[in-house]
Amino acid sequence: MTPALHISHLRKVYRSGTVAVEDLTMDIQQGDFFGFLGPNGAGKSTTIHCITGIANPTSGTIEVFGIDAVKDYHEARRQIGLSPQEFNVDTFATVTQIVDWMAGYFGLNAKERKARVDMLLERFDLTQHAKKRFRELSGGLKRRVILARALVHDPKLLILDEPTAGVDVELRRDLWRYLQELNRDGKTILLTSHYLEEVERLCRTIAIIAGGKIVRNGPKSGFLGSPGGLEDAYLIATGAEPDHIAAAAP
Amino acid sequence: MTHRGINWIGLWTIMRREWSRLMRVPVQAFIAPWISSLLFIFVFGFVVGSRIRTIAGHSYIEFVLPGVLMLNVVNAAFLQSTAQIYFQRFMRYIEEVLVAPFSYVEMVVGALAMTVVRAVVTAVGILLIGVVFHATRLQSFPEFLFWIVSVSLIFGLLGIAVGLWADNFEQLNMLNVFFITPLSFIGGVFNTIDMLPPYMRWIAWGNPFFYLINGIRHSMIGYTDAPEGLGAAVTIILIGFMGVAVWRLFSIGYGIRE
Repeated sequence: MTPALHISHLRKVYRSGTVAVEDLTMDIQQGDFFGFLGPNGAGKSTTIHCITGIANPTSGTIEVFGIDAVKDYHEARRQIGLSPQEFNVDTFATVTQIVDWMAGYFGLNAKERKARVDMLLERFDLTQHAKKRFRELSGGLKRRVILARALVHDPKLLILDEPTAGVDVELRRDLWRYLQELNRDGKTILLTSHYLEEVERLCRTIAIIAGGKIVRNGPKSGFLGSPGGLEDAYLIATGAEPDHIAAAAP
Repeated sequence: MTHRGINWIGLWTIMRREWSRLMRVPVQAFIAPWISSLLFIFVFGFVVGSRIRTIAGHSYIEFVLPGVLMLNVVNAAFLQSTAQIYFQRFMRYIEEVLVAPFSYVEMVVGALAMTVVRAVVTAVGILLIGVVFHATRLQSFPEFLFWIVSVSLIFGLLGIAVGLWADNFEQLNMLNVFFITPLSFIGGVFNTIDMLPPYMRWIAWGNPFFYLINGIRHSMIGYTDAPEGLGAAVTIILIGFMGVAVWRLFSIGYGIRE
């Protein structure tokens, strides 16, 4: 089966000369819940930006459901929904406008837009905030708006860049349930997070990136099976020493 | 969801978004240029104009108003497109368009669409004010529309380029101060070419503003300083050249993609 996402030898060098991603190769299978872990500045967001068209890859290929994300970007972008780490919205726009406009950008007609927007605002408990401006919302509500916007065109591949950063426990749990539902219904999900518990609970496959390179990639069971579980596996893969190893050192 | 490969709904959505943004500042967008034109009519028509002899057989206000109208159209188009692109970059919501299925041509057309609407609304408003106060007339509406749309496209495209280039608010205004305003003032807003000192006349012929002002003036009062065909050709070539340049900026991601 064609992978939902195929990245081959991706390299991204910024104008400043910083090499953010170096020879990154990975596949995400259709229907997978894929955890993409790494320390700050490891290259997670840059990789996501290259996939979604926010950054130009320096070299390498990216295919989304077999569609070249650079050459046939027009079609590739239809397949993807992105919830970015930072809020990239017109903060003076209302909740409804933000979600509705994104639906419009993806070509949904007025009837489809209304149905999708109403459903998502209700699903994310935003109906009573529909007419509020984005800037008037709390951090948790803002995060919900961004998630609703990412889902409005019903993408086949959902990319979530730290979707639960700064949200309360209740919303986090609710979001986990919803993401699991979406994944069960066949949506492929790529999740980056600094909460290992979240990744451990949701993902089936995990890749760890450090210094712009994939340093470990495989099924979750492979990470959980190692002594110390995912946290130790993560620390070792990223070059940091787990506490118990550091304590035992002479 | 899209028809014949063009994302029509997406383009319409960009227009809806920009209209909503514009309606947050309706006084600045529309009322201000109309009031300033009204003041021009009062000063040049009744206060100063009554003491100035006719220019090329037209009263001074009749001669000047097309130029004043053009300056407001230039301002509306340039401000609309620079603000649109710069704020999208500044607040990063340009990423909403980048991740959506828009071709680069559609991105440029989307950015220009509301620019043209704002410019046309501004121009028609000033024209109506001028007609109501007997300060101008309209020779040919299709010709008038051609010139207004052309001017708004030229300065809309220029504004997009500046919006992509600028890194702060100061830079947004630089082109206006050092290029647009001086060229428009020596392009024949307030005078005919014959009134310029001989050594300055060649500047007017090489100044694109001259053809734009001349075209609008011809469509309104029938007076022309240059062959109409030459003006239209210069204008269309300029639009084509600038359109390709801006499309190229979008396609390489200049100012919008790392």
